[in-house]
Amino acid sequence: MSPFALLFLIAGLGLIAWLTARARAMRFDRGGAKRLHSLPSQHGWYVAMWTVLPALLFLAVWGSVSPGLVREAVMQHPAAKQLPAFDFEREALLGEASRIAHTPGAKAFDPLAEQLAEPTRAAEKRYGWTGTAAAILLAFAGGAFAFTRIRAGFRARSRVERAVMLILLVASLIAILTTLGIFLSLLWESLRFFGQVSVFDFLFGTHWSPQVIDPADPGASLGAVPLFWGTFFIGAVIAMIVAIPFGLMSAIYLTQYAAPRVRRWMKPILEILAGVPTVVYGYFAALTVAPAVRDLAVSLGMTYASSESALAAGLVMGVMIIPFVSSMADDSIAAVPAAMRDGSLAMGATTSETIRRVLLPAALPGVVAGVLLAVSRAIGETMIVVMAASGAATITLNPFESATTVTKQIVDLLTGEAEFDSPKTLAAFALGLTLFVVTLLLNIVALAVVKRYREAYE
Amino acid sequence: MNKRLASSDRAPTDWKAEAMQKRIRRRYAAERRFKLMGLAAVVLSAAFLAFLLATMAANGARGFMRTEVALEFDFPALALPVDRAQLSTPGADLALAGAELENVVKGAASAAYPGPVPLISDNGWLTVRDAIKADPGILGRKERIWIPASPEIQLALRGEGDPAVVTGASKLEGLGAIRTGFNRDFLTASNSTDPMVAGIWGALKGSLLTMAITFLIAFPVGVLSAIYLEEYATRNRWTDLIEVSINNLAAVPSIIFGLLGLAVFLGTWEMFGHQFGPLLPRSAAVVGGLTLALMIMPVIVIASRNAIKAVPPSIRDAALGIGASRVQVVFHHVLPLAMPGILTGTIIGMARALGETAPLLLIGMRAFVVQPPQGFTDPATVLPVQIFLWSDEVSRVFVEKTSAAIIVLLVFLLAMNGLAIYLRNRFETRW
Repeated sequence: MSPFALLFLIAGLGLIAWLTARARAMRFDRGGAKRLHSLPSQHGWYVAMWTVLPALLFLAVWGSVSPGLVREAVMQHPAAKQLPAFDFEREALLGEASRIAHTPGAKAFDPLAEQLAEPTRAAEKRYGWTGTAAAILLAFAGGAFAFTRIRAGFRARSRVERAVMLILLVASLIAILTTLGIFLSLLWESLRFFGQVSVFDFLFGTHWSPQVIDPADPGASLGAVPLFWGTFFIGAVIAMIVAIPFGLMSAIYLTQYAAPRVRRWMKPILEILAGVPTVVYGYFAALTVAPAVRDLAVSLGMTYASSESALAAGLVMGVMIIPFVSSMADDSIAAVPAAMRDGSLAMGATTSETIRRVLLPAALPGVVAGVLLAVSRAIGETMIVVMAASGAATITLNPFESATTVTKQIVDLLTGEAEFDSPKTLAAFALGLTLFVVTLLLNIVALAVVKRYREAYE
Repeated sequence: MNKRLASSDRAPTDWKAEAMQKRIRRRYAAERRFKLMGLAAVVLSAAFLAFLLATMAANGARGFMRTEVALEFDFPALALPVDRAQLSTPGADLALAGAELENVVKGAASAAYPGPVPLISDNGWLTVRDAIKADPGILGRKERIWIPASPEIQLALRGEGDPAVVTGASKLEGLGAIRTGFNRDFLTASNSTDPMVAGIWGALKGSLLTMAITFLIAFPVGVLSAIYLEEYATRNRWTDLIEVSINNLAAVPSIIFGLLGLAVFLGTWEMFGHQFGPLLPRSAAVVGGLTLALMIMPVIVIASRNAIKAVPPSIRDAALGIGASRVQVVFHHVLPLAMPGILTGTIIGMARALGETAPLLLIGMRAFVVQPPQGFTDPATVLPVQIFLWSDEVSRVFVEKTSAAIIVLLVFLLAMNGLAIYLRNRFETRW
């Protein structure tokens, strides 16, 4: 039985349990002092939970155990004796056997896999039905157990609510698990990387060319400084030169000058800029902006102008960040007490003088925090640089020359061949860990700044 | 007293004087300049958006069109060695390929147009094959069949490319043997190496399957944890930790989630899972959906918490006052009232997941997928990744297809965001 059909069946059983238990609870003898402790529907939920949850729990466990049992059964087959002892080949053969078992009419490259296909299919079928039967049995057993327990004085409600609380708690723990998972998996792979390449070489080396790695000294060609510089240059310099003035000025215009009608229309329009997928920006940067930038460079008299310049990627990235900076600036300007603005205007200052001399200095910590968050966004941005920036790692101050970034290199390193253990692929995880730590620090600093600043006016 | 006298000794400022008037003019000019700068920032940002959309629309409009040429086939004279009974069986494709149909069609094309470039596209003969399969009766008569033209002919019809080809194409147009129309294959076919027959249906279906997984995981988990944090959790070290990790997860770059997906879903599976059973294909929709679910969960949690927070406490107090339990208060009263806000946040999160490319590239959803995925564990690709893959192609026709696919993606995103705005306006309650 397919997993979905089985889930449906169990859900159906749960529904039946809910209905019958509720109907039963409605007919409880309520005469005399024996009042119903819980509502009939709560009795229904209690029985339904006992029907569904144990069966689902069992299926989760069974799903992780049964493939092992299938493997065990296949190994018992006489043909399995001929399997090569070498791990990798054996895995390939068994994988092929299971593929043949699943797809009717498929042909095998290896006759041994074809011989093993039949026992694989048989074992999978056997254990599949065992699991199904056990799950259904468990559903009935759980339901029956709960059904015998409900009676007029039964505290179904407190039991159901305790279970609900548990489910809620588990759901909220998933966030911690994800953070932990990210950190541990990045750390684990990075540690494997740093087992082969020294931390010093990686963080301070200035030569990056993962295409040719000398196996004797992998650290020599895995120095990440050019990547850090390129990331900083594109994301924190060029993109911010675009995003900060545009974002700040449009926030000021929309909050201080624009008529409410204009504001109501322009704000969502600017926010569309943030909603456009990054792959679209990347395509636009590569197709339209990069050639234009190269032509500009040529007309400025540069003999060698790259069509994968840092400027093209940075410009488009900056435009993408505009609404982000704008909304952060908007929030922090709005948080300045109105009395300060009114006071300044009352003294005869013009609106622009009020903004520049009173509002902006007061809102500065918030704006700075917004810029930090924007930088953390920009350096983590991937698709624009993958499509528009270059793969060549150079350290340059010239925006018309090519530059590469951490995110671009992560994608390049991991979309090549699929060898999971080479320093080349592991380097991607070390880069990822660096990126994760830097963006985390930026966020923590930005949030701390915002928090302190908010308290100042409360 | 003296002090006051001293200050009144000074003559009052003469605002009418030339110096003061000049100063005021200068200040007002600065004011106008500042306001103009603000306006310019807004207008330029909007203009950039307009330029971006206009570029995509101009390129993409052509991507929806396709040029086809009509070829005359005299099937009785060609005498294809095919058994008609075979044509209604699953072996029909094999039988027709065995009958050298490809060469027959290509021969007919080069006979009709002996130019420097091929007349019909690489996979154009498949159109003839499908026509024969749909109606085996045409094998007994003469038939005129419209076949996708080659990219060169399509471009030549617009006056681009080799002048000789351009004149040849316009001559064909004069004969009425060539037409350009809406390309239905674009919406119904999957990826192909031949730009003339490549379509986005496979990628679109992959996106839908991935989104389904993302929604089924991120929505319940996100809403439940928002309820817990907002309604029940007592403030202690654990809930602080949960809150900090949710806020940080919302700011983690998306590519990091790709690394997580690669290391956990695929790396761990390869390390431990292989002793248990078959490997998941690297590009399965279920892996992509799980990765994206972890990515947008914080978005849903934060939006849901804000929606729950907006429900006034008086409603909780009233429900508690008439004897509802705390679970009943939330599930019967608070949650239904917060639902529009929660759904708005969820749709915005889903829109973000739909447009996301980088994490899916890392976990390997960049496979060349010719068949639309049939289930959650089939190899699949998604719309943004398809756009990325096509953007690498050199062919002009692929460039137009890329823009057309972008238009489809933007239409979906616009529809989702429009739905979110509608929900917000329709159901939002100001308490």
